[in-house]
Amino acid sequence: MIQISNLRKSFDRHEVIKGLNLSVNKGSIYGLVGVNGSGKTTVIKHLAGVYRADSGTIHLDGAEVYDNAKAKARIGYVPDDLYFFPSYNLKMLGQFYKRIYATWNDKRFAELMKLTELNPKNRVSRFSKGMQKQAALILALSICPDILLLDEPIDGLDPIVRKRIFTWMIEDVADRQMTVLISSHNLKEMDGICDTVGIIKNGSMLIEQDLDELKADMQTKAISEHLPPTLDEIFVYVYESGVKND
Amino acid sequence: MFQIDLKNRKPIYEQVVENFKKMIISGGLNQDSRVPSIRDLAKTLGVNPNTVQKAYRELETNGYFYTVLGQGSFISAPPESLTQQEIAELYKALAEQIHELLFRGVTITEVQKFISEKFEVVNNDSDK
Repeated sequence: MIQISNLRKSFDRHEVIKGLNLSVNKGSIYGLVGVNGSGKTTVIKHLAGVYRADSGTIHLDGAEVYDNAKAKARIGYVPDDLYFFPSYNLKMLGQFYKRIYATWNDKRFAELMKLTELNPKNRVSRFSKGMQKQAALILALSICPDILLLDEPIDGLDPIVRKRIFTWMIEDVADRQMTVLISSHNLKEMDGICDTVGIIKNGSMLIEQDLDELKADMQTKAISEHLPPTLDEIFVYVYESGVKND
Repeated sequence: MFQIDLKNRKPIYEQVVENFKKMIISGGLNQDSRVPSIRDLAKTLGVNPNTVQKAYRELETNGYFYTVLGQGSFISAPPESLTQQEIAELYKALAEQIHELLFRGVTITEVQKFISEKFEVVNNDSDK
């Protein structure tokens, strides 16, 4: 279980995250949504242990994540801005990950590589952006993490690869109760895959709820007549009206 | 098995529930046959396993499924008889449909003809 309480973070005296709360249940696929600059990436970087909170706590099963190797070993993280060692190919990266993550699974890595069209002998830094994203995803999935953090994973991927990645993710959620947190502004895609959503604006959480319940609640408001609203419509409504849940 | 329509506004778990109900009522799924595991169905449909689980839970609560620990879910025997409340709900749904038909200009005679024709079909089926 992931729990962020009252997180605050400033960069150069500019407060980006303003007392944000967030919680994700084990085995959930959680969609973190918000406009550009609302703080999605900053939140994820705190969860990954990259940033240190100014105040507030970031807990993974009750333990603080920052500077905690044990907690971080359980997390697979695919950032939006990817970096690969210049001379490494995918195979070498796999060996590098294996040295770092005790839960690394060679068999899984081999299987996933076979399912993509990526050449394991080519330098990853020379891959196209979409191919790099795929490479990062199969590396993260081969760790067999308890928590998978995906920052804008859908951007730049073709529909076939997207479907493939969702299928792998679904397998791990069903088999091992992996917890997934995805940030995106592709709300249509999130609508179909997430069970819970968190809508953030200006560094604080506006609404965090089970998606089906949220839709049922929003149906009573006049967003769209009769039918349950889509996540798209809910998002626009929440942003414009500024409604909040507690 | 069946498809999920992501463009449909109906929540995915409701779509799963409805598809199973349809298959059970039409006889496509027999009593005591095993339903796919949550994992397999989630993978086949490409949807969140938690959503499938939610649908299965609802089907179990409403008596369409039963679960054997460690073996999965199975199709239940048809319920003995409907409760008064269930009957009332089904009639209410039927009334709404008929109202819409009338509102859209279908005559009551046409509706009656449709019902009696359908009813004959059902009767013939049960004679076989």
